[in-house]
Amino acid sequence: MTGTPNSVSEDVASTDTDADVPATKSTVATEPPDSGSRIERVVVRELRTVSRTRTFVVLGAALAAVLVGIAWVGGGVRAGFVPTVVDLLTPLELLVPIVAVAFGYRAILGDRRRGELDVLDTYPIAPRELVLGVYVGRAVGLLGTVVVPLLLVGGAVFVGREEPFSRYASHAGADSPILFARFVALTALFALSILAVALAISALVSGTRSALALSVVALVVLLVGLDLALVYGFTNGYLADSSLVHALAVSPLSAYRGLVFESAVVTASGTGPRTASPVASLLGLASWTGASLAVATWAIQR
Amino acid sequence: MTTETPLLEASNVDFAYGDVTILRDVSVPIRSAAVTALIGPNGTGKTTLLRTLAGLQEPTGGTVAYHGPEAAREIGYLPQQPEFRPGFTVLETLAFYASLVGGGRDEATAQLERVGLADAADRPVEALSGGMTRLVGIAQATIGDPPLVVLDEPASGLDPGMSKHVFSVADELAATGTAVVLSSHDLELVERTADEVVVLDGGTVVGRGNPAALCDQLEAGSLETVYEESIVGDLSSVRVQGETA
Repeated sequence: MTGTPNSVSEDVASTDTDADVPATKSTVATEPPDSGSRIERVVVRELRTVSRTRTFVVLGAALAAVLVGIAWVGGGVRAGFVPTVVDLLTPLELLVPIVAVAFGYRAILGDRRRGELDVLDTYPIAPRELVLGVYVGRAVGLLGTVVVPLLLVGGAVFVGREEPFSRYASHAGADSPILFARFVALTALFALSILAVALAISALVSGTRSALALSVVALVVLLVGLDLALVYGFTNGYLADSSLVHALAVSPLSAYRGLVFESAVVTASGTGPRTASPVASLLGLASWTGASLAVATWAIQR
Repeated sequence: MTTETPLLEASNVDFAYGDVTILRDVSVPIRSAAVTALIGPNGTGKTTLLRTLAGLQEPTGGTVAYHGPEAAREIGYLPQQPEFRPGFTVLETLAFYASLVGGGRDEATAQLERVGLADAADRPVEALSGGMTRLVGIAQATIGDPPLVVLDEPASGLDPGMSKHVFSVADELAATGTAVVLSSHDLELVERTADEVVVLDGGTVVGRGNPAALCDQLEAGSLETVYEESIVGDLSSVRVQGETA
């Protein structure tokens, strides 16, 4: 079985060591970066990846064109901020998850397939630092892709609206850019939570096909499945009337929709049923984000 | 003759994927300032052993103990098929890795010069040939000057000149005190370069020692003969662990 001529190799080793170690070791006296700096390095790498990937640029341009087009054709640009929010809400419920998944589903998978996760494992960077860095980097790119078109739409509304206050005469001042800004912020939060889910998928799978398949499943569950489950629970009495606004927080899509209605649409109209528990919905989005990032970290560690 | 503690010591290591045993009772000391080469047929567990030594997977039995100095990066690793994120230049790629251990472009450039790829610093990684990608991988493995560098088939797919160059890089690393563990099928270069050779067959160590000593033991004229006499079974068929063992 095992050979035993250790002494021969030891002689060789000791000779080389004694002769050359101090003379040629090219150690660079540098301080290892702290955790924040390591995360920053990964963020920068992700930002460069996003900025150099043509697909993301095209995706951003297409999203901008679609959103501006909807706002223009739907008359929101002339009607005001809140009508524009109402026009854009449903398309964004579909488009934001798709764009977010596009940004995230290969983020960690790519490194795994290239063997770079193994290589990174030999560097002093913890899985949670890697996940956080990838998430923040991709999030900046995603927010640029989602928020910039919305700001363009907001700018168009600001310039193009006609008699903004007469439309909401009984609620003068209600059609405010602040409501639109809330809508943009909530859309950003929604996008960030879906990105985290996509990142978890990216860390869990080992192939592009399985990543795509799992992403489709996740989109169906997030966009349809959870809402259907809520409807089922409500119609069959598992959910009480009073708890519905809280239960909506379980679904990121319902949480987002409810938050938009609660903080931008119903606020503007001044009356209407309660559409969400803002605290529960925000906690729901935060939970999806945190849990997904935790899953991604676990998947890298396993 | 030394009695120094090995930098890395694998003791009675077993590794199995479920019911399929890949490594059985493998004990290998890895010494500083030496090149240790793993040789053996395809499918015999070399990559699994290297990944275990690099700490990338836990053995299912036995231990792997690192006795080396504390370092920002203790072990450098070259995968069998190195690849890098597209869209970045060679220098950007290495600078990213260097930044994780407190280095920067200077260290990245130094490692590129060591492998003879300084002229390709500004070339996108996706535009490199297979051999050049492997050299970038070796440069990456040495980022941070880890005390142990694990190279999985560093000369695979390279032309003879490039293969020699890769082994000379390994030799230079060992000369600076680094422990280098590599796997290779180029027995001539292994014989010329390695300080210690570990012969793996069927997931077990069937021979270990200095190339010359191994040749003496088996009264063989070359490491290739040692290889042929050490490996049991048909050398023309791939060993599939768990199937033929």
